[in-house]
Amino acid sequence: MKALPAVTPAAGSLETPVIELRGLRCTLGERTLLTIDSLAIRAGERVAVVGHNGAGKSTLLKLLGGFITPTQGSVRVLGQPLAQLPQAGLRQLRRDVGQVMQGLHLVPRLSALDNVLVGCLGRVGGWRSWTRFFPANEAAAARQALDAVGLGDRCATRADRLSGGERQKVAIARLLLQRPRLILADEPTAALDPAAAGEICALLANTAGTGAGVTLLSVVHSPALLPLLCERVIGLANGRIVFDLPLAAVGDDELARLYHAPALPRPLPAADATSAVQRAPALDGGA
Amino acid sequence: MTQATGRPGGGRSGFVALGVGYLLLILACLWTLAASGDLSGGRNPLANLQKTVGEFASPSFLDLWFGNPRLEYRSDDGSLLRVEDRRAVEADFLGELGRASWTTFRIATLGSLLGALLALPLAVLTARNLGAPRAAAWLAKAALDAARSIHTLVFGLVLVGIVGLGPTAGILAIALHSSGTYGKLFAESIESLDMAAIDAVRSVGASPLQVFFNAVWPSVLPQFVSSHLYVWEFNIRDSTILGIVGAGGLGMLISEACALFQWGRLSTILIVVVLLVASFDALSRRIRKALL
Repeated sequence: MKALPAVTPAAGSLETPVIELRGLRCTLGERTLLTIDSLAIRAGERVAVVGHNGAGKSTLLKLLGGFITPTQGSVRVLGQPLAQLPQAGLRQLRRDVGQVMQGLHLVPRLSALDNVLVGCLGRVGGWRSWTRFFPANEAAAARQALDAVGLGDRCATRADRLSGGERQKVAIARLLLQRPRLILADEPTAALDPAAAGEICALLANTAGTGAGVTLLSVVHSPALLPLLCERVIGLANGRIVFDLPLAAVGDDELARLYHAPALPRPLPAADATSAVQRAPALDGGA
Repeated sequence: MTQATGRPGGGRSGFVALGVGYLLLILACLWTLAASGDLSGGRNPLANLQKTVGEFASPSFLDLWFGNPRLEYRSDDGSLLRVEDRRAVEADFLGELGRASWTTFRIATLGSLLGALLALPLAVLTARNLGAPRAAAWLAKAALDAARSIHTLVFGLVLVGIVGLGPTAGILAIALHSSGTYGKLFAESIESLDMAAIDAVRSVGASPLQVFFNAVWPSVLPQFVSSHLYVWEFNIRDSTILGIVGAGGLGMLISEACALFQWGRLSTILIVVVLLVASFDALSRRIRKALL
C-alpha cells in the first residue's frame, strides 16, 4: 500500500482546523494537568506554546501525538477524532504528524542516516522496512535531508556518538524526510546552548516552510526564540490558557504575568530558563 | 528467596547488625564442624602436599621429549615383562586429549546455542516492560530459577540415565542449566530498552513490526550477542567436568587421571583446560568490546 506523501493540504482544510480541542480535561490522580475549553489551530499557522514548568505544555503535545488520552473532551488532529481512532488509524495519522521531542528521541544504535530513514517508514512497508534496505530514492532523500541540516558528513556516525545539537538536527532531518502536514516540537532546544538553539529553531521553521500549509506547533522556553518559530503565542499556566495572542502583541508584560516574575531579560535565553525554574515552586504555592 | 524490597536496616546501625549477624554465622559454621571433629587435614597433609606438587610440577606432556623410549617392566625375579616407549604412549594420550577437548568444545557450543534458544521466549515472558500475562510470566520465571539453581552436573547425571552416556547428555545438561542464566540476562537487556527510541519510531506511524525491527532489535541484538558469548565461555569451563558423570569430553580424562593418581597427566589436562578457557575468554572479550 502506498500512501502519498502529504505535502499539499487536503481540500477543505482551510475550514477544518488542523488542531481542534473542545472541553478538554486531563487529570493524573488528584492533579489536573490541562483544562482547555476550546482551541483551534488552522493549516499553515505557526504557533508557540509558552509557560512555566508543569504548566501542561508537554502534556498538550503528547495528547496531540496520541501518546496519552484525555480524561474528558475531544481532540481532533488533521480532522480525525483521536479518541475514536483505532490503532491502525492512529498510525496512519501519525505519518502526517512529525514530532521532535524534548529528550532527543533517536534510536541510539542506528547511524544518523538510518535514523533519518525512520521518517519514511510510513511510506515504505514490508521486508524493506524490517531489514532497513530502503529504496534508493528514499536513501538519497535521507542524505539530502542530512545535507540540508549540515550533517552530510556524519551519515554513518551512530546516533549515540553525536552531540546534543547534532542529534536534534538528525531529528529535524527525519522530519524533512517524513514530510508531515503538522509538526509538533516539544522544547527542541532544551538541551542546547543558545547558539545551537537559534540554529535548530531556524531549521525547524525552514522545515515547516518547505511544504505549503505545514502547521508548526512548538513549545519554547526562551522569548528570544519566539520570532523564529511563530506568529501566534499561546500562554499556559497551571494547565489553563492565559493568553492567545499574535506574536506582535506579546510583550514583556504578558510573559512576566505568565511566569509570575518581573519583566524577563530578553536577550539572554539561558538566564530566562533558570529564572523560570526558580519561580516555579513559588508559583505552585500561590495557585 | 526473594524478599519484598523493604529497606534492610536503616543506615549505619543496620549495616553493623548485618555484619554482626554474618560474623555469628561464620563462627557457628566453624564451631559445629570443629566440635564434630570434621576440621582436619588428614593423616599427613604436608608430605602429601609436597608429593602432589612435585608430580604436578612435571606435567606428563614433557615425556614427549624426555620420556624413556625403552621403559622396561620387570617382575620381582628380574625377568623382563614388557618394554614401553614412554614417548609413544604420551603421544597417544595427547591425541586422546585433543579429541576430548574438541568434544568438550562441541558440547559447550551446541549446549549454549540450545540454552539460548530455550531461554529467549521465557525471557520475553519475564521482561517486566513487555507486560506478558501474570501467570505466564510467573511460570517462566519459576522455570528459569529452577534451571539456574540446579547444577550442570546434576542435570548431567539425570540425563545420562535418560539418553545414555556420551556428549548428547552433556549438550542437554549445559542447555538446561544455562538457559536459566540466559533467561535472566536476556530479560535484563530487554528491560533496559530505551523507551525514547521506541517512541521515536512509533511517532512516525510505524507498525509494531517496524518498531520491533527498527528500534527494539538494533538495541537488543548487541547485548544478546554479548550475553551469549559470556555464557558460552562459562559453559566451556562447565563442560570440562561433565565427563566425570559420563557425559563426554575432558572430564572423563580428569576422573581417570584422579582415580589412578596420575598427577602428571592431570597437570597436562589442566594446562589444556586453562589454555582453552583463557583463549576463548580473550576472544570473546574482544568481540564483546567491539559490539558495545
